[in-house]
Amino acid sequence: MPLAQTASSVHAAVVVDRREPAPGIVVLGLRVPSLEESVRPGQFAMVAMPSGEQAAVALAIYEAGAQHLSLMIVVVGTRTAALANLAIGERIEMLAPLGNGFEAETLGDDVALVAGGVGIASLLLLAAAVVRRGARACLYYGARAAGALVESDRFARLGIEVSNATDDGSRGYRGFVTELFAAEGRRHSGIAGCGPTPMLRRLAEVASQRRIPAQLSLEEPFGCGVGACWGCVIPHAADENGAPQNLIGATRNLPSLAVGHRRTTQRKDERFTYVRVCREGPVFWSEELRW
Amino acid sequence: MVNGAVRVDPTEPDLSVRIGRLELRYPTLMGSGCYGSGEEYAPFIDLSLLGGVVLKSVTRLPRLGNDPPRLAAVPSGMLNAIGLQNPGIDAYLERDVAKFADRPCAVIGSVAGFSVDDYAYVTKRLAARDEIDAVELNISCPNVGTEGETFACDPELAEAATRAARAVTGKTLIVKLSPNVTDIARIARIAEDAGADALAVINTVRGMAIDVERQRPRLGNGSGGLSGAAIRPIAVLAVYEVAQAVRIPIVGQGGIETARDALEFFLAGASAVGIGTGNFTDAQAPVKVVAGVRDYLIARGKTRLRDIVGAANPAFAGVRA
Ligand SMILES: Cc1cc2nc3c(=O)[nH]c(=O)nc-3n(C[C@H](O)[C@H](O)[C@H](O)COP(=O)(O)OP(=O)(O)OC[C@H]3O[C@@H](n4cnc5c(N)ncnc54)[C@H](O)[C@@H]3O)c2cc1C
Ligand SMILES: Cc1cc2nc3c(=O)[nH]c(=O)nc-3n(C[C@H](O)[C@H](O)[C@H](O)COP(=O)(O)O)c2cc1C
Ligand code: FES
Repeated sequence: MPLAQTASSVHAAVVVDRREPAPGIVVLGLRVPSLEESVRPGQFAMVAMPSGEQAAVALAIYEAGAQHLSLMIVVVGTRTAALANLAIGERIEMLAPLGNGFEAETLGDDVALVAGGVGIASLLLLAAAVVRRGARACLYYGARAAGALVESDRFARLGIEVSNATDDGSRGYRGFVTELFAAEGRRHSGIAGCGPTPMLRRLAEVASQRRIPAQLSLEEPFGCGVGACWGCVIPHAADENGAPQNLIGATRNLPSLAVGHRRTTQRKDERFTYVRVCREGPVFWSEELRW
Repeated sequence: MVNGAVRVDPTEPDLSVRIGRLELRYPTLMGSGCYGSGEEYAPFIDLSLLGGVVLKSVTRLPRLGNDPPRLAAVPSGMLNAIGLQNPGIDAYLERDVAKFADRPCAVIGSVAGFSVDDYAYVTKRLAARDEIDAVELNISCPNVGTEGETFACDPELAEAATRAARAVTGKTLIVKLSPNVTDIARIARIAEDAGADALAVINTVRGMAIDVERQRPRLGNGSGGLSGAAIRPIAVLAVYEVAQAVRIPIVGQGGIETARDALEFFLAGASAVGIGTGNFTDAQAPVKVVAGVRDYLIARGKTRLRDIVGAANPAFAGVRA
């Protein structure tokens, strides 16, 4: 079902708030005077480096309102470090909002939100949308250790039940969040997942075994973030002409694509094409991924 | 559509360039493979302020492209190995090219191939379309085994591909050279003699980054092409050397993000510049480049961009007309 597309454009933003919920994790509050329309859950921004010289970096839009949004940054390299070091009053530019995001309406009335690490940043707006629809939601949230589990209270305040997993067992289930979710065994109507690729692959397996439709927000290295470079692709189910099947949200000006065939373990000879995480995604139905 | 070299205000410096038969209002072309078909960037920049867009390279047969990951951020640049993902010339002409008709800047098709015959065949069919104002011959793609780049690295193949493409179109033909050669000026001369109207200098520089945790290359393809600020000095030198060897215009590219970067290329001998990765750093880079070059000319009392082309290159051999 195509959704109305919020117009994306270049925005100038000022840092108005900065907190560090854990070492190496920073939440930046930004005033964005030109941001009028609402942002859909799961959309992201391409945030330019204050000094240029390096490509802009993709960050999920964590919270958003009129003329305001926030970003959650986990420092992993030079660009995330540069943004995490911004002080209140500093200015940055960004392209936003980008991507198709989650579709809350098709997740049913008992939604499992499954987050690994900074993947949590893509799920807060969705959680709010799910609750607004009157649906129920549970958050399964995993990280390395208790100290890296941040902002759970934001979900709890929405009335969402939170279960945690940590690699070292310092809080909640000891092990991966996908195993916590599998062990929990509750019959959710839909899953929304965001986190590192190995976690999402495992989540896709669990979802498929349990026959629960899952929307996964993927991460690949980005170049442009706007669909121009074809650097961020993932293999996706396609018809015989290469048209990708069952994408979430609106597809705009999708050019023709080459078709590939791949033998997978469960399914036999499967047709696929490479679609762009930044433009056709970043959220995809897990059943349509051919990874 | 081609934008005519109309000067709105006579006090404004003339930034127009002529490349073969192609007239560009602004000396900026968006690098092939970095700008989609232009439409992708339309929400973020006024496309009528670009000289033109070089489309993503197209081949005779459909290509899926390389397995991901296709990109890796590295200091001051990025590695890419897209692998020429494209639907093949048939589907491209049938379904995609018509959509390029309403672009308010020049639209330059890009052709890649694996044989001399491929280059002739695809160039002929693509150049026949009204939506396409000129053709760039990508004989320098480093991400398809050794096959693609062989053309730009082998004088005989470079000559044969250029001649073959020249024979099938009267539209402006730009030949895109690889920096991964010992003597780029020699290949440049060969392409000029074989009928190229202009040269794009340079394509990406071969490179690799290794994931030290997983102990394997970060790109799915293993090696890739390095672009961005990291390659700028390599590109400036290549333009400098090529500008001493040929008389045809050069589209200088490699790491251009600001007007100062672009000016290095003009002063080395480029008539126009290509901006690829710089768009990923700043989507407004192309308009900032034009504005900055204009200010530079005004500050120096110059009325035409072409008057500074090659100004830092004593042996500049090109034509400033
Ligand atoms: C749609 C989307 C949304 C995102 N949302 C967020 C978000 O909300 N918050 C957030 O913090 N991030 C988010 N990311 C991830 C973020 O964009 C990337 O992590 C980005 O690459 C960081 O840039 P960087 O320059 O800091 O690190 P980079 O230099 O790009 O490094 C990226 C990763 O590669 C690793 N790496 C680099 N070089 C090597 C090497 N030689 N060997 C091994 N590993 C290496 C780094 O350790 C790091 O894990 C998102 C990504 C996408 C696609
Ligand atoms: C992601 C990406 C894809 C590219 N694809 C092509 C291509 O299909 N054909 C081509 O001729 N050049 C291609 N290039 C090379 C660019 O057009 C440009 O020549 C090169 O990157 C150097 O300029 P830059 O540093 O401004 O990007 C590509 C570059 C990048 C970064
Ligand atoms: S990052 Fe360039 S197409 Fe997605």
